[in-house]
Amino acid sequence: MSGNDINRRDFLKILGWSGVGVAVAGCDRPTTVTLEEGKEEVVAYLQPEEYVIPGVGVWFASTCQQCPAGCGVHGRVREGRVLKMEGNPDSPINKGKLCQMGQAGVQGHYNPDRLKKPMLRKGGALAEVSWEEALAALEQKVGPASGLAGDRFAWFTGTVSGHQSVLLSAHLAAMGSKNHFIHETINNAVARTVNQDMLGEAMPRYDLPAAKMVLSFGADLVGTGSSPVHFSGEYAKFRTGATRGVLVQVEPKMTLTGGSADLWVAIRPGTEGVLALGIANQLLLGDELKVAGLPENLRTLITAYNLEKVAGITGVTGDRITRIAKLLKERSPSLVLAGASVEGHAHGYQSAAAIMVLNIVLGNVGKTILPSGSSAFPQMEAKAGGTRDLLALADAADKKALDVVFFHGANPVYTAPAALGLTDKLKNIPFKVVFAVHPDETAMNADLVLPILSAHEDWGTHMGVYQPEQKSISIQQPLMERLYPDTKGFGDLLLALLKARQVKEYESFADYYGYLKNAFAALPASVKGDSISDEDFWGKSLQKGVLNIGTVAGTLNPKMVEISFPEFKSDAPDYYLVPSAQLGLWDGRHANLPWLQEAPDQISKVVWNSWVEMHPATAAKLGVKEGDFVKVSSAQGAVEAQVYVYKGIHPQVIAVPMGQGHEEYGRYAKGRGVNPLKILAPVVDAKTGELALYGTRVTVAQSGRREVLVKLMGSETQLGRKMVSTVTASVFNRTEGTKNVT
Amino acid sequence: MSHGYLFLSGPVGSSGAVVPHHRSSRYFLMALAALVLGFFLTISSAWADGAAGVPNAVPPKGEHEGKNVEQPIEFPHNIHVDVNKINCMYCHTYARRSKVAGIPPTSKCMGCHLVIATDKPRIKKLTEYWEKKEPVRWKKVHDVPDFVHFTHEKHLKRFVFDNEGMSVDKVSEVCAFCHGDVKKMTVAHKVKPLNMGFCARCHEANKGPFDCWKCHK
Repeated sequence: MSGNDINRRDFLKILGWSGVGVAVAGCDRPTTVTLEEGKEEVVAYLQPEEYVIPGVGVWFASTCQQCPAGCGVHGRVREGRVLKMEGNPDSPINKGKLCQMGQAGVQGHYNPDRLKKPMLRKGGALAEVSWEEALAALEQKVGPASGLAGDRFAWFTGTVSGHQSVLLSAHLAAMGSKNHFIHETINNAVARTVNQDMLGEAMPRYDLPAAKMVLSFGADLVGTGSSPVHFSGEYAKFRTGATRGVLVQVEPKMTLTGGSADLWVAIRPGTEGVLALGIANQLLLGDELKVAGLPENLRTLITAYNLEKVAGITGVTGDRITRIAKLLKERSPSLVLAGASVEGHAHGYQSAAAIMVLNIVLGNVGKTILPSGSSAFPQMEAKAGGTRDLLALADAADKKALDVVFFHGANPVYTAPAALGLTDKLKNIPFKVVFAVHPDETAMNADLVLPILSAHEDWGTHMGVYQPEQKSISIQQPLMERLYPDTKGFGDLLLALLKARQVKEYESFADYYGYLKNAFAALPASVKGDSISDEDFWGKSLQKGVLNIGTVAGTLNPKMVEISFPEFKSDAPDYYLVPSAQLGLWDGRHANLPWLQEAPDQISKVVWNSWVEMHPATAAKLGVKEGDFVKVSSAQGAVEAQVYVYKGIHPQVIAVPMGQGHEEYGRYAKGRGVNPLKILAPVVDAKTGELALYGTRVTVAQSGRREVLVKLMGSETQLGRKMVSTVTASVFNRTEGTKNVT
Repeated sequence: MSHGYLFLSGPVGSSGAVVPHHRSSRYFLMALAALVLGFFLTISSAWADGAAGVPNAVPPKGEHEGKNVEQPIEFPHNIHVDVNKINCMYCHTYARRSKVAGIPPTSKCMGCHLVIATDKPRIKKLTEYWEKKEPVRWKKVHDVPDFVHFTHEKHLKRFVFDNEGMSVDKVSEVCAFCHGDVKKMTVAHKVKPLNMGFCARCHEANKGPFDCWKCHK
């Protein structure tokens, strides 16, 4: 009964000392693990709930907060502690499945470096203070008496949805400010704008199982897409349907989705749109009627991008291009997607638009790209973020246009490229308040830090950024009591802020729980179903964890836009930098979770560190081998890490994964690896103003140092052991026929 | 862990089964059967260590000189079990349902002691805890390392509920295998080593599972 987490960890520490004989750092605490009688405590319940059996887990429904996908989860609770997360089968988003980031959520909750007390900047340094003092400081700077109003106040958040979003908007309205900056480094903001302009809807629905082929330009559907678990399930259906779907992935560096493709094509970064037009050119060859139906600009463009020209620009051979075009023709309907590597350039919008043109030419809109429709609760829907608002914050701070900024769910000090000079510019904002669970870089740069409850302790409602056919609101309920008495719920704090501004509608609610319960009671009968009372509905909702809110059908109206590309010059001697993303550390927010540090990168298998990924040809040219330290320099700075050589990358590309290189963020993250975001050039997509994440050029130089690169799987080959049998394509074709070979 | 749960909803499911109530009638039948077969069993079963009547069982061998552990309240097991004949599982109710036997919740103590022996100093102390809504922080006496998966439920199943001829009334004899003669103690006192040799000898003698991962998982 008392065998708690700390004991176990300390126990493993001892095992490390005696069993393996290695020096273990952090012997800061005496061990409490003992089998000796009378040393450990065993605390009986005062009065347990009927269903509580010590040693037997009980599962409660909640919502995952590890990324903006909003998966439903079940948390196993035993003796009042949450121990294990699984997917909630009732969630239409993840249908009972959960990814490794969701599993690792408990480590964020039990993280030893969590913020436990409010901190206020006094004489230059953050000092722990009581909540009374923290709230008094807040009242003084933000309260009605402060005179603060209008756009001198701002919220800076990650993706928000549900009732937190409603309260946050109400607070902004009460403050008279329009400034809500929403920031996500891993986003699909450019593609959303293209969708909005060309289809009339920012986030349409993709019917993967209906597609016979997916041509993905860097869209990491099953990895770092907008809903990884959902699309992993959809991908499985796409692969196992009546017609086995074919996936062709075109990207500069292999993503997790690329690793599953039937055909993986390396492309020179930034030329994806050209390839799309080149494929359109091949598809329309000799089809004068279809060509005539296109607007003048597109007709000229598509005609101009003939096979030879496209092959020259993209580095993809003519054979490949005709083969992809042939596949698309044979496998209709198909689905063509644009991902981060397409969006992240100065002409990202143009490339993504060219890819959408391909969808329209192929007739996919209405077949595999469907209207997502709307719900009766637009105020609850996710407000997706991008990097434009990060630039906007830096700009506003630079102009001294902000007096007070509240930060929540985003860590701009870590994610901002050094070229933005954000840390210095933030000094122009006199009062920065961070609502955070962990001591991240932004919190450490704040004037007031308010420690909030972890996702496993707090209340909330959420809507994932990608909504499948059945739209739903997912409920977040505490899976255990708060670990630290001096932490407060985010919703509770929002309510307190509204009350401080005397907003009438919210004055009657004692806490966020009361507010949510009331909001549920106010839902229409169509959502409440056959519940016999409000209390009954509330209980059922918490038990199920998901509310189906119905979908109002919509329509898509395909429309062409003007597309133009810059002139693609032949390669300069330097390299394109790809700050690759991984379903694990994500944009760096999970670097403080040991399980995700320990889980090897899906492609390189490297653990606990950064690396510099390059093609064997590039490595040979540079004269480096795996494990050599190299310095990757852009005009904005340099990072140094060990080389990892892999064939799944364009020879002109150098990839450094994002996620590491934290200067703060607790013991597991701090001072480990490098942050490629720091050396990004301040290039933006001309149309949307989003940061061009893939638009930086770098040079690579040997550092002369070398160490073993720590990774799982020491060898890329089976060394002749035949653990997995393989045959050559020619043998397979002869024996199995060519029907299923692309 | 302290005052139970914050939740207002029911759980979505449970990872362990609860023994259904109708089982108690089965215990009764088993007890009857035990009476009928009593004489036969007494002569046919092989006793070891002078342990009284647990059929089909060889009690584990091994001794341990435990320390006297000072508890917040000096709980008299002897009065409850030896004098008043309360079954171990009345208080340690989770033993047959879970890997842990469970320390009874304070509410269970108060179920009787709201009226019984309310003038005794130990009960006064208990009542104080109850009124302050403060759980009693007992000191742990019996423990196995975290890398050992021990379950009370399976052991009770083998030696009591699925053990032909065994009466549930005599469950304390089975508990005594590992916990010693608790009914003669006040607060519990560790008298068995509870180490791997102790476990392994018993598993061998009683043909228990012998795979490493049965316990080390």
